[in-house]
Amino acid sequence: MAQVFEVSVFFIVFRETLEAAIIISVLLAFLKQGIGKSMDDPAIYKRLVKHVWIGSAIGFFICLAIGGAFIGTWYSLGRDIWGSSEDIWEGAFSIVATVIISVMGLAMLRLNKLKEKWRVKIAEAMEQRNHAGKGMFGRFSRKYAMALLPFITVLREGVEAIVFVGGVSLTAPAKAFPLPVVCGLLAGCTVGYLMYKGGDFVKIQYFLIIATCFLYLVGAGLFSKAVWYFQDNNWVKFVGSDVSEEGSGAGSYDVRQSVWHVNCCNGETDGGWMIFNALFGWVNSATYGSVIGYNCYWIVVMITVSLMLFKEKKGYFPFLKSWTEKQEAKKIAKRRAKMERLQAEQQAEMSFEPKTVESADSV
Amino acid sequence: MHFPRKRSRLLYDDHLAVTAVTIAVVIVVIVVIAGLLVCCVFCIGTSTLSSLFLSALSFRRSLGTVSPELGLDRPNLSDPNRAPLFAVFLAMRFSFLAGLVAASGALAKTVQYDMSIGWVTANPDGEYDRPTIGVNGEWPPPVIKCNIHDRVIVNVTNNLDEPTALHFHGMFQNTTSFMDGPVGVTQCPIPSGSNFIYNFTVNQPGTYWYHSHYSAQYPDGLRAPFLVYDPDEPFADDYDVDTYLTVADYYHDPTPWLSANKFLTLFNPTGSEPIPDNGLLNETQNYKWIVEPNTTYKLRLINMGALVSQYIWFEEHDVTVVEVDGVYVEPYTTDRIYITVAQRYTVLLKTKNSTSTNYPFMTSFDTDMLDTVPDDLMWNVTGWLTYDEDGEFPDAAVIDEWVFLDDFNLVPVEKEAPFEPDTSITVSVSMNNLNDGVNYAFFNDITYVAPKVPTLFSVMSSGNQSTDATIYGSNTNTFILDHMDVVEIVLNNADPGKHPFHLHGHVFQVVERSEASASDEEFVVYDASNPGTINEYPMRRDTVYIRPNGYFVLRFRADNPGVWFFHCHIEWHLQQGLALTLVEAPLEIQKWTIPEDHYAACKAGEPVQPVPIAAGFKTKGVVALVFSCIAAFVGMAFILWYGMSELKNTEHEVAQVMGEIPLDDELSDSK
Repeated sequence: MAQVFEVSVFFIVFRETLEAAIIISVLLAFLKQGIGKSMDDPAIYKRLVKHVWIGSAIGFFICLAIGGAFIGTWYSLGRDIWGSSEDIWEGAFSIVATVIISVMGLAMLRLNKLKEKWRVKIAEAMEQRNHAGKGMFGRFSRKYAMALLPFITVLREGVEAIVFVGGVSLTAPAKAFPLPVVCGLLAGCTVGYLMYKGGDFVKIQYFLIIATCFLYLVGAGLFSKAVWYFQDNNWVKFVGSDVSEEGSGAGSYDVRQSVWHVNCCNGETDGGWMIFNALFGWVNSATYGSVIGYNCYWIVVMITVSLMLFKEKKGYFPFLKSWTEKQEAKKIAKRRAKMERLQAEQQAEMSFEPKTVESADSV
Repeated sequence: MHFPRKRSRLLYDDHLAVTAVTIAVVIVVIVVIAGLLVCCVFCIGTSTLSSLFLSALSFRRSLGTVSPELGLDRPNLSDPNRAPLFAVFLAMRFSFLAGLVAASGALAKTVQYDMSIGWVTANPDGEYDRPTIGVNGEWPPPVIKCNIHDRVIVNVTNNLDEPTALHFHGMFQNTTSFMDGPVGVTQCPIPSGSNFIYNFTVNQPGTYWYHSHYSAQYPDGLRAPFLVYDPDEPFADDYDVDTYLTVADYYHDPTPWLSANKFLTLFNPTGSEPIPDNGLLNETQNYKWIVEPNTTYKLRLINMGALVSQYIWFEEHDVTVVEVDGVYVEPYTTDRIYITVAQRYTVLLKTKNSTSTNYPFMTSFDTDMLDTVPDDLMWNVTGWLTYDEDGEFPDAAVIDEWVFLDDFNLVPVEKEAPFEPDTSITVSVSMNNLNDGVNYAFFNDITYVAPKVPTLFSVMSSGNQSTDATIYGSNTNTFILDHMDVVEIVLNNADPGKHPFHLHGHVFQVVERSEASASDEEFVVYDASNPGTINEYPMRRDTVYIRPNGYFVLRFRADNPGVWFFHCHIEWHLQQGLALTLVEAPLEIQKWTIPEDHYAACKAGEPVQPVPIAAGFKTKGVVALVFSCIAAFVGMAFILWYGMSELKNTEHEVAQVMGEIPLDDELSDSK
């Protein structure tokens, strides 16, 4: 199963899809609220909604194209380079994957906040666009703001997903991609729709928590596996041939490092255990390094979560109070300056230009 | 409008900061935790913890009983290096058990020394820090002191990374031959990390020493005096202070390493012995022996070196020899002592009335025993009879000729005419190369190779066959001695070097000792029909030198059953195999019981198969898996905690951005 379903790919696609879905839902919500006078005329509303969907669709298809090219190139060029020292590359890629998964993992728990975040950002963006410059481009962007925004966002999230997917699955065979990508897209869209509908928020939150837990289980397993790969690389170097691929019995592993070893259930070759391996980092031959690595990973996760909670509750990191407050003050000052500039422009516009007929986008 | 002030906004820009800080923290935490865990794993893996624990335990124990100074019957007991001895006393433990009333009427005590033998960094000659083998964290090792008829218990814990064994040089070990110490002869080496008890009664007075008898180990520092006090000594009233002075050659490199890499190799075909780097007086240099004027000192001289004999003299002071190797002798006054490795001389030295001058005393290598004398070798070591610590310490005078005491002419107080031998063993010493290109030493063309099973243990297990010398192996050079026979050892030296020979378990009469031959081509060989000089009452001792290409004749009564090593005490020559084994009254030996810990030391040496691979889940696997699962669940609990924590409403922030409400700082400004 692991050969056709790369779990980490699923989660990454899911997460990025969800983010794109949230943006679209936020935009649609804004339109419904009557932003841009969309509710004044059902025709305008319909047109704007269409804009949103068209923009998203274009962004999505460009992403698919980029992703396909990216992964295609990857597999046609990259695969052979690492063949000779497979273990060390697998170890390095696993580390890369762990880092990616870990960094985006906790953000997933804040997806509902992500919605809020995007509301702020989009509001800012639309505010700005209202005062976008003159000329061809200014006119165009004003007219199609509702298409451009989702286009750019979807494109960005998509490219992000491609890079991440590439990162986490450097070691996976090509056929392990399509299924998790499709599943991730479907799941992301479903959850995004539910969030738009304002469904049971708590239920969605539970879903996200479970998904995040799985994500970190995968991350811990990958990290442990990375250490295991590095150690196996050493072992293979000493032995002179990759004995670990010749079976699971005595002689296939370094007895000095062994914490446990069972002559079965090989996570690399045996059917069901491969799922176990993909989800929980199961190895039939654990080493001191892999066990310590696994536990350290979780300890680090706990510490990080504690730090982030502390920051959310208190507004600063432990021992970094003044630094954080300074950053906050800077940001407020920046936002304030921007608003003042916009207000100044608005006033100038109002005093010199009569209102344009097609001011559908302006507030 | 009133808006509650919000302190925090976790917006996109914050995420960068959060991420950066998180990554930094994560890296630090990973490093710290991984370091700790790795340390733990390694500690457990190498049992360092347990040995640390052991040493800590013995240290605590040794501090637990601060003992009264030994030799209560001799309150004027003084020691030339009091400061280190104080520490030594701290490390001792004396147990006063039910004693036996000895012939002298003194109450025999049990004297116990707990010795944790381990590496200690020291710099004896002030030139070079090196690991030395010390006891209880101190170097030099403690001086063993007891009264005659005391029982001595030495409780050894081997904290070295190599085996060891202790020999109590000169002790007769009557009925306790298994406590004698030489590895391969009377015991198996004490394995690293294990415990071993030496327990014997001392029924002989005088000056001895103890040292490692494993490999070429003792010159690395495991050597110290062993002093036995006797209230009935013949010169008891002739001195005021009892003290000792050790001399020794000294190597900067570990001697087993030198032996393996510089000495017993294809590239040293002439068998030239490693040249010492320095000499030591009482295991140090620039030694200032503080003396009182007009006082007679009983000074026990001990050569604890590995190779060279030494000349010892005290400028402007004569010394009177009263004891050699534990045998009281008629007083013999001389101005210079020649002392080979392992020999002891006890001398009386009377200090001058005046304290105006400090007098140098010298110990000087017998450079004839060195194949080459490097230019930078300081083969003279000077100490000072210090009458005035603030005075001058003059250089020693140069001397022109080596006139010294010939121990052959000393007369024991307890006089014995030369024995008539019942049996005679004639051996000839030679040195030659074998097919591996290494230079070996031979008794009658056999070089001693230690057997796997110590000879004494072969005696115990061989029943009636124990009287057959061939069962002890072809390279142990074993001779069987009948109980109470007078044994004669005739040794012809077919080697142009001086050799100090030592017999364990006995003192022997030095019946004859020839001069050196006139040239290296000729040998002076013993001829019973044409004997040389024989003294009326021959000297007795346990270590005696033979002259180049000469011979000596030794006689002793086989009244001490046991397995006794007879060997050249030059440590290098012992490594070359210059040794033979005397099995004395084997049927008597078989009546003894050897303690369990001595057998245990041998069991540790048994080659056994490695343990099977621990397949599947053993304790550590289960523990690891359980902890990993716990870590995963606790980690997920944290994620749950984070996921369920109150989500912040950012509605007002949107409103701010949309310009519908004032910004936060405006609020705070208006306050």
